[in-house]
Amino acid sequence: MNGVAALAWRNLWRRPQRTTLSLVSIAAVSALLVFMLSFQMGVYQTMTENTLRIFDGFAQIQPIGYAEDPGLERTIDSPARTAVAALDAGNGTITVASPRVNAFAILANDGRSVGAAVIGVEPASEVRVSTIPRIVRNGRYLTPGDSDSAVVGELLARNLGLSVGKRVTLLGNANDGSIAADILTVRGIYRSGMAELDRNILEMPYRRAQQTFVMGDRANTIVLSGPSLTDLDSGLPALASTLRPRHLTVLDWASLEPALQQNIALKYAMAMVFYLTLVVVVAFIILNTLLMSVLERTAEFGTLLAIGMRPSLVGRMIWIELLLLALLGAIVGISLGAGATLWFEHAGIYFRGLAKLLAQFGLPSRLYPKLGWISVSIGPAAIIVAICLGGIVPFLRVSRLTAANAMRGT
Amino acid sequence: MRQTTRLAAFSLAGSRAGMTLVFLLRVSGAASAGPTPNAEDLLKRVFENYRATTSVTSLAMTVHRAEWERRFSMTAWTRGGKDALVRFIAPAMDAGNATLQLGGETWVFNPKLNAVIKLPPGMMSQSWMGSDFSYDDLSKSEDLLTEYRHRVVASDTAAGHVMWTVEATPNPGAPVVWGKVVLKIRDDYVITEETFLDQDMRPVRRMQSEKIGLLDGRAYPTVMVMYPLDKPTQFTRVETLAARFNTPVAGYVFSLSNLQNPRP
Repeated sequence: MNGVAALAWRNLWRRPQRTTLSLVSIAAVSALLVFMLSFQMGVYQTMTENTLRIFDGFAQIQPIGYAEDPGLERTIDSPARTAVAALDAGNGTITVASPRVNAFAILANDGRSVGAAVIGVEPASEVRVSTIPRIVRNGRYLTPGDSDSAVVGELLARNLGLSVGKRVTLLGNANDGSIAADILTVRGIYRSGMAELDRNILEMPYRRAQQTFVMGDRANTIVLSGPSLTDLDSGLPALASTLRPRHLTVLDWASLEPALQQNIALKYAMAMVFYLTLVVVVAFIILNTLLMSVLERTAEFGTLLAIGMRPSLVGRMIWIELLLLALLGAIVGISLGAGATLWFEHAGIYFRGLAKLLAQFGLPSRLYPKLGWISVSIGPAAIIVAICLGGIVPFLRVSRLTAANAMRGT
Repeated sequence: MRQTTRLAAFSLAGSRAGMTLVFLLRVSGAASAGPTPNAEDLLKRVFENYRATTSVTSLAMTVHRAEWERRFSMTAWTRGGKDALVRFIAPAMDAGNATLQLGGETWVFNPKLNAVIKLPPGMMSQSWMGSDFSYDDLSKSEDLLTEYRHRVVASDTAAGHVMWTVEATPNPGAPVVWGKVVLKIRDDYVITEETFLDQDMRPVRRMQSEKIGLLDGRAYPTVMVMYPLDKPTQFTRVETLAARFNTPVAGYVFSLSNLQNPRP
């Protein structure tokens, strides 16, 4: 077998030009697949993290059933203790746990009124799970000492005729069935660019919200965040099992933003069609080259058969030639692709003039690919598998040869 | 309170439920239990009676949840099919809150804020005062008549009364949320049960008349309970303690100034 491999290796380099060309095509497609997949993964990760960082957080602890039917009465007891337990369970992957009260109220000012979500937030931890504190355009965000303060989205402010310093009236239902009413002063107005957030949300201090909506020391959700979405995600099942006895659960990002997750899955599926086409095309090019070479070398195979080599061994030799070619090409391709990816992982790729388009998807104008085991291996592996499968054709052809026919060249 | 009563609170509280209430409250006396009536005529008669009248009622509302139960007392005034004022008088922490419905619009007064707030249109499907009724229930009482087609689908006899089952199906394109409403109407025009089905024909909530008595000389559902069917642990019960029907109600009752500063 070793001998056959050596023979195959030697055969490859009997025609250096042809082999080099084949190698180049395999390497180029492998490199392209590595880079493109890495780029896609990097962009989607950025998009996901940026979207989640605006308001949702990377994950949320919620009462079981809250996601399907959110209600003020579905609460988390002793949220501070639960938050600490989550940080412990996260083992470093969860670095912030911020409790929230999620209520709903009629907001009114000066004869105008709208319904909106009223979110009670702990300013100290909220600034670490949400970017809303950083996108306040007028005034300032809530600070830990605030009591009768509110921060509202730009569209909500416009709809109610609010500006910094004005007072806004809240009227809703409290958690004990009484009527919740409060008057807050607008301290800041934020703009996220996402109409849903800018039109529908008022943030107020957590303690004040607990009092206004008669919550006692309870929260509706605890928002989690950490340095890496992927790492945090991997620790969630363990956290969920510690929460279950308390009738709590933890929702990962895909459950919080199912549309985003589906959007990404769709984009991957569409990209896969393109990648698959590339793989199939390169596999056919290589096969074609090899078939040509097999036809050309029929007389040589005849000789090998005549001196006693079994047809199956000749076939195997051809197959090994193909495999060596594919492996070599993939290695070169991975090196090139990974090299380019690593370079751009640091330098980034700047998209001049696309800033507005990218911002719609929560992306900066400089995008970074992200090299990972999957993006490195999946494309080249697909090429190797495709070429090996295609190798069945020359294998069968050579296996059917007889010495006499082959030497005669038929 | 020198007015008459009729449907007061319910026009507020109930709605489609109100509608039911409307039926219940406004239809006077007994009808003869002859052959199966035309559903349309049945409902029209109910509404003709209803529109002509005013009402002043004294009500107790109990909102029941798994963890707690709250009982409110309130007074309600109604005029015609659309105008209503409900004012909470107990418990102390909620007393003074009031809801006014006038010409299709809704205002809420809260004494703590000392402010009248006009209800934004998007909020009409929200819970009214934390109960299982929505603001929509208060304001769309006539929809059942104008936006639906009606059919008597069954009739039977129970406790000496003929009982008709009427199915109301929305007209094509009607701006209503229900897929179907099924009513059980007694021969004295008391609705004993009203079931609301969603667009997928799943029952979503049911209002039942749990006690029917005589009030100001007419058969009247004195205890009505709304059950949200997806939340088996909760319900809202409205009990009518006293009522006067068909007495004049002063015009100022249904005004923003009276909402905020009640005249004695």
